[in-house]
Amino acid sequence: MPGFRWLDRIKKTKKRQTAAHKPRQSATSGRVPEWSGAGGLLSADLEQNLQRIKRTLDRCSDVVYREFAFAQMEKVRLVLIYVDGLADKSQISDQIMRALALEVPMAVPGRKISRAEALEFIKRRGLCMHQVKEADRLEDVVEAVLGGDTALLVDGHPVALINGSKQWEKRAITDPEAEPTVRGSRESFIESLRTNTAMVRRRIRSPALKIETLQLGELSRTDVALLYIEGLAEEKLVEELKRRLSRIRMDAVLESGYIEELIEDSAWSPFPTVNHTEKPDHVAAMLLEGRAAILTDGTPFALTVPNLFIEYLQASEDYYERFIFTSAVRVVRFIALLVSLMLPSIYIAVVSYHHELFPSTLLLSIAAQREAVPFPVFVEAVVMELTFEVLREAGIRLPRPIGQAVSIVGALVIGEAAVRAGFVGAATVIVVAFTGIASFVFAYSASIAFRLLRFTMMAFSAVLGLFGLISGVAVIGIHLCSLRSFGVPYLYPLAPAAIPGLKDTAVRAPWWAMLTRPRLIARDNQVRQGRRLKPEPPPAGPKGGKG
Amino acid sequence: MREQTKIDGKQAVMLMLSMILPTAILTIPSISVRLARQDAWLSVAVAVLAGLLFARLSVSLSLRFPGRTLIEYAVEVLGRAAGKVVGVLYIWWFVHMGAVVIREFGAFLATAIMPETPMIVFNIVVAAVAAYAVWCGLEVLSRFNQLFIPLTVFLAVAFVLSIKDMRLERILPLFDTGLLPVLKGAAVPASWLGEIVVFTMIIPSLAAPGSAHRLACISVLLIGVFLILSILEALLVFGPEMTAAWFFPTFNAVRVVSIAGFLERLESVITVVWVVGGFIKVGVFYYAAVLAGAQWAGLRDYRPLVIPFGVVLVSLSILLFDNTAHMFAYLSQTWPAYALLVFEAGIPLLLLVAAMIRGKGEKGGR
Repeated sequence: MPGFRWLDRIKKTKKRQTAAHKPRQSATSGRVPEWSGAGGLLSADLEQNLQRIKRTLDRCSDVVYREFAFAQMEKVRLVLIYVDGLADKSQISDQIMRALALEVPMAVPGRKISRAEALEFIKRRGLCMHQVKEADRLEDVVEAVLGGDTALLVDGHPVALINGSKQWEKRAITDPEAEPTVRGSRESFIESLRTNTAMVRRRIRSPALKIETLQLGELSRTDVALLYIEGLAEEKLVEELKRRLSRIRMDAVLESGYIEELIEDSAWSPFPTVNHTEKPDHVAAMLLEGRAAILTDGTPFALTVPNLFIEYLQASEDYYERFIFTSAVRVVRFIALLVSLMLPSIYIAVVSYHHELFPSTLLLSIAAQREAVPFPVFVEAVVMELTFEVLREAGIRLPRPIGQAVSIVGALVIGEAAVRAGFVGAATVIVVAFTGIASFVFAYSASIAFRLLRFTMMAFSAVLGLFGLISGVAVIGIHLCSLRSFGVPYLYPLAPAAIPGLKDTAVRAPWWAMLTRPRLIARDNQVRQGRRLKPEPPPAGPKGGKG
Repeated sequence: MREQTKIDGKQAVMLMLSMILPTAILTIPSISVRLARQDAWLSVAVAVLAGLLFARLSVSLSLRFPGRTLIEYAVEVLGRAAGKVVGVLYIWWFVHMGAVVIREFGAFLATAIMPETPMIVFNIVVAAVAAYAVWCGLEVLSRFNQLFIPLTVFLAVAFVLSIKDMRLERILPLFDTGLLPVLKGAAVPASWLGEIVVFTMIIPSLAAPGSAHRLACISVLLIGVFLILSILEALLVFGPEMTAAWFFPTFNAVRVVSIAGFLERLESVITVVWVVGGFIKVGVFYYAAVLAGAQWAGLRDYRPLVIPFGVVLVSLSILLFDNTAHMFAYLSQTWPAYALLVFEAGIPLLLLVAAMIRGKGEKGGR
């Protein structure tokens, strides 16, 4: 498998280091607890192997050792080692134990197997498992067992047979909770890596879809899969991604967020430069545009790179609904983006500095509302924004049944009562509420950035009015222009502008017009579909048909 | 030092637009109308012709020395001592121009938008935002410009919306004052268009330097169109007397737009366009100044110069003029001769002739 060569190389160099330079065992020693048993090759003596493994897995009460005899030759002792709960027990008892202890004599009656032949025979005829590998190193055996496989030690052979028996409790595939859709696939990823890769594979059945796996985290040994479509994803991108992944050295990777923070381009930016999604159809679409995806075991979120800013304004549904409607919705999202960043600051600026911008009647009514309010509008708006953020956070963290109580308290007490009591003006409540709602229109991870920046902008406009606001927007704009995600300018196709790319921004062109993939992502292979796909109904007959 | 980043032709034209237009629209109408009365728009047309010549001159000069900026090839053309002197002059001029632009914006914001805030606050903020953009590099500056330049459409929209208040008689009769005032009025806009000489600092960063002539021409013509539109807008709405009486007549012309009791207060939108344009304009001169400084001193990177130059820019912007009237007098009387004769036409022409005589650069560099 050529795809794994790079991985092997990394592993080999690591192993060489551990073997050759014990004293200066560098990064990992001391930080990660050492194995209590020594590593190294297995010996031919079963008893000795078993002792060493037991010493290594000392005080691991979930490891099961099952000793039994081989039916063909009583003297060949066999030991099964697996982790209770990670390995499929029915498979172990049916396909391994029953097969070796009872059924082999039925298959080849009368034949005697010598001790030397035992291993080969067991592997070829005895085991009814779908996946059997050999391992001759103690570390590999222990690692396989802890990964859910079942190790079979055969007396007299310095080799263990590793049976693929991974099977543990997992959640069923459910509706996407973070990215609900009206139209389109309702599947979302789950915590099991294999199920997730299968969901992507089912959508792209081409051999060009490559799924490379590696392990990250020295204690957690988390399986991570790297997905890309060969020929679409730039080779440089895949190499760069592997380089960034291979330099990750940490205890554990519990969620894709760990990886995200370690591979992103601008660590200090409030804007995410790695996108994530829980929808397999979204990942498939990203891969088809030449991006790469990273699936992590134990989390239902996939990372996709390179990440463009406009992705946060696109939803996978946009491509399933008809394009006219979608384009209208996109415009609404753009407006919501501006609102969520700027509305409170515009309100503050206008109320405190630029009264002339309000129509006079509106100005009078706002002035009347604010007459009894004891605070300057900036304080009022910041307090209300903070209140909203607290309510939002509470809504996520609280147990479900209490959530409703919170929303009632939020809506009635804080909204209605605060206005009645004269703590805040009604206009402020409207502005804050609308801003809050608007920030949920586009993708969550970008909305976090905008929510944070909103407070900065409010301070800017409280100090310098609209000029401060514009300066703030300019700084954010410059910052966005300076960002790159894996070499691709973050604001592409807005700046640098590209006409074909603009077909999928504020509007979505119909599918028959989106002929190319994003130019800066799929550099090598841009044409995505045939020309002249626009549906052309056959011309009506001369008599205009029947009826 | 050599800049690594590349920008494409469209970005370059947009950068030129933002480099010249924002302050030109703001201040030129008043100055030109004072000299040429209702024929000021003809002055701008004349100035555009002159601008095309300047563009031709500086681009021809630059293309003789591909991949190098004015600061670098001045040394080759004139010899080390004289070349370095020319370099210092240009660094000064870029800094001076940047400071004047900052001042123009500070004055505009402090008089028209927030009269109670001291001007230095605006100057510092404008310079700081521009410094951030310059720190990020030319590529980021031009992308940022590209992101915001669609807002310029609002200038055209404002023009269309103020048609209601326009009277054609206000620019009649043509040539009422004779030809001389028209030419006099052309000097100031020509000196603005001549700022295209800054392009010599950017040409080496073009992805396709061969197209520089075309790009410079397009830029000058587009700027001319927008300038003529803005002068006409002020003239047709207010007539020459009132236009000349105000510092920022275009701003006032937009201010009076009111349609259906709903479309009004457009000046706030226009202010946004101007302020963003101002950041970019200051940014371009700031960039030219620090790049020139770094190349003059032989530094590997211009970034260490960004903050010192920023401090100089802000201080200079305050120290240059006593008040806004002083600034306008300077811009209309001293600036054209100073900028036009020395930096926009004089030195480039000298360099080109010297290069041709001494056989420096590529012969076919046209």
